Amino acid sequence: MFGWIGRILRVDLESGKISEEGLKEEILGEFLGGRGLGVRVIFEELEPRIDPLSPENKIVFSTGPLTGTPAPTSGRYCVVSKSPLTGTIFDSHSGGSFGPELKKAGYDAFVVEGESQEPAYVWIEDGEAELRDASGLWGLSTHETTSKLLELTDPGARVACIGPAGERLVKMAAIMNDMNRAAGRGGLGAVMGSKKLKAISVKGSGTIAVAEEEEMRELLRMTSIILRKNSTTDKWLPTLGTALLVNIINELGMFPTRNFQEGVFEDAEGISGEKMTETILVGKRACHACPIGCGRVTKTSNMEGEGPEYETIWAFGAQCGINDLEAIANANYLCNQLGLDTISTGNTIGCAMELSERGIIGDGIEFGDSEKMVELVRQIALRQGFGDELAEGSMRFAESHNRPDLAMQVKGLELPAYDPRGAQGHALAYATSNRGGCHLRAYVIGPEVLGMAVRVNRFTTEGKADLVALLQDFTAAIDSMIVCLFSSFALNPSHYARLLTTVTGREFGREDLFKIGERIWNLEKLFNLREGLSRDDDTLPPRFLEETLPEGGSRERVVRLREMLDEYYAIRGWTDQGVPTKEKLEELGLEGGHISA
Amino acid sequence: MMSRERLISKEQLAKMIDHTLLKPSDTEGKIKRLCEEAIAYGFGAVCVNPYYVPLVSELLKDTGIKVCAVVGFPLGATLPEVKAHEARIVVEKGAQEVDMVMNIGAMRSRDYEAVKRDIEGVVRAVREVGGELVKVILETGYLTDDEKVRACELAMEAGADYVKTSTGFGPMGALPEDVRLMRKVVGDKMGIKAAGGIGNFMDALRLIEAGADRIGASAGVGILEGYDWAELTNSWFVEPIPCTLCPSRYADLSKQPTAVYLYYKERCRTCPDKEFNRFYER
Repeated sequence: MFGWIGRILRVDLESGKISEEGLKEEILGEFLGGRGLGVRVIFEELEPRIDPLSPENKIVFSTGPLTGTPAPTSGRYCVVSKSPLTGTIFDSHSGGSFGPELKKAGYDAFVVEGESQEPAYVWIEDGEAELRDASGLWGLSTHETTSKLLELTDPGARVACIGPAGERLVKMAAIMNDMNRAAGRGGLGAVMGSKKLKAISVKGSGTIAVAEEEEMRELLRMTSIILRKNSTTDKWLPTLGTALLVNIINELGMFPTRNFQEGVFEDAEGISGEKMTETILVGKRACHACPIGCGRVTKTSNMEGEGPEYETIWAFGAQCGINDLEAIANANYLCNQLGLDTISTGNTIGCAMELSERGIIGDGIEFGDSEKMVELVRQIALRQGFGDELAEGSMRFAESHNRPDLAMQVKGLELPAYDPRGAQGHALAYATSNRGGCHLRAYVIGPEVLGMAVRVNRFTTEGKADLVALLQDFTAAIDSMIVCLFSSFALNPSHYARLLTTVTGREFGREDLFKIGERIWNLEKLFNLREGLSRDDDTLPPRFLEETLPEGGSRERVVRLREMLDEYYAIRGWTDQGVPTKEKLEELGLEGGHISA
Repeated sequence: MMSRERLISKEQLAKMIDHTLLKPSDTEGKIKRLCEEAIAYGFGAVCVNPYYVPLVSELLKDTGIKVCAVVGFPLGATLPEVKAHEARIVVEKGAQEVDMVMNIGAMRSRDYEAVKRDIEGVVRAVREVGGELVKVILETGYLTDDEKVRACELAMEAGADYVKTSTGFGPMGALPEDVRLMRKVVGDKMGIKAAGGIGNFMDALRLIEAGADRIGASAGVGILEGYDWAELTNSWFVEPIPCTLCPSRYADLSKQPTAVYLYYKERCRTCPDKEFNRFYER
């Protein structure tokens, strides 16, 4: 088999049984791997409406056919489960080298089920897997855990683990790998915590076979030209990292400030990628097979680590009214070490700041208080004091104070760093996202803001439903190969189809990718419908539908969601309630998962 | 009205692109890569500064890709004899096509004879040594519409083969409205090359629809790579508000003569689409 390994590992934490199974033939052509594979497993194997933090939930770590090959940006892996934060199906992705190592160790994916009585970790080495006691690791930070596991297993191993936040079932707990890379979103670290699974350490010495070696060399030469010719992948991302976006998004008046009450942060320059380069940047880092290298190695006066990324700078910066880049970086380091999603954590703290500003809570957390912000990160991870309330995420926190409208989230997932009032298509992508408030289900910021592949008018709703559906399908395919979305700033769908064909030896056309993506998207939708979600959940907080921004390049606008949503459902082949029709499911080969319209 | 159903093929588009690098800082390495890209994508021509003509001509030998050199670039203000001499040398060193910058100052001084003689000198020199095409760069951002019309007429009278919108170093890039105006003047007697600020396939398609036969761009790779997306949705083809593509939107007092700047701004006041010209674009 080329590209895929053809084997899945299954670990039952309840019985301690470890087994292997073959990768089903239908998965290969219809779901690829990565997100598609994980979604398929979770959809098929989970009973409806289970508690995500119960032993009934499962968690899938998966790679794709391109993972670990020389294909550009193919160092990623994916974690799929039912999210304790959103109650939806959820896939969370990360870079580094953990994914390629898992494949080299002989597995496309592994599925964890049940719950261990005592803390445990899984050690996988070249086709052998073992469940080991992790009592000595419980309570340790992600960095400590990783270092310890490299001693206990193999110094060349790759480790994915949770920190104290995951152990304490914080609903925005991340899974960290290679020290500082995060499968951050959706609280999947808490799912690991609920199973008392502290970590996975993996070491592999195998190779991943490529079907057409010579064609692959030619393709790599071509993709290298394209990535080098694109200023985003060749110049901006390598030089400034993702933080290059701070000034761009702020200039457009859609840099969410003080819990999305404003769209322009007065001190954006001081927390920008340019400022980071002048001050805390000490090095750069790239994931496996990545020619872009957007990773930042940084150092403040008292801490060091990797990041912060654009979203993190926003979450602990503008969202909290904070202009202190050192404090933002320190909050980021803490999240990495304690195992927290930076976007949800910063967003939730910003939400608490607004509630405090309005006198709804009496805890006196003011916008701009960087010291308190950093302290809250620690308290959330450890569920100490007020942090225990915030550890439930912004939606539950705001609801508990009878102001659900002040939580900036969709389906329970905290929104990231683009105010949807500044980009109508991106707003629709937020609202219809299967995993909640996320910018990466369909990065409509590409065309609406950055002009990739073409600049479209960010304020019009015309044409946006089609664009959102197209990018959602495309991203689902990208997430299943798996390659980094950043490569798609330069490469186009035909290149990915060619890469897949060359690596696997199976014929994939451009249209096949979109069909695979659509299939995955629909299956995710079916899962969410089965969980009781409905059209009412495909929405945005009222702030975006009713209130305008006071100043800047996106002022005096609201999201015109209704007019886009009806069109979007129609384009998807769904009913006006957002339910896939029988015909659509038949077309996608998903008849078995049909939910009555 | 453009739509994905009426697209030209990717190969056709590639053939219309003059793959270009004209920055003074461009190194030999970048020029070599430019040629590799031109071969890989099947571009029609490679356009460079005179210094790189021998190298490019060697690298593109037997590929069928034309070598294009700029002359009197980017100001167009040198002596006619120098332009003619420069044109002759670049053709002798391997260029088949010459993109010369018109004498813009003479044009704005209404010294039309000087403008025409300047072009004629280059055309003659290129023909004498077996060059194929002369394109005259008007640098539209320095001109009013009347001047653009007159410039096209002069280029035609002087025997040039193409008129070209911009250098990429002037106040404005290529815009459909200018191309449309130029086509109206030259009809099918001359070719039109649109150049300057063409960054993606929609920019290119709009200019082609307006009448351009050639696209001069350093973003040729991105244009063709992005073209893969063109067939996938009509969302790209949603018409922008008229101001987005209007030359008046790009008028800039810091880059243009005051009279030219005011000419463009005056047009806004009398524009039939002026209702669109507001901050709150729909």
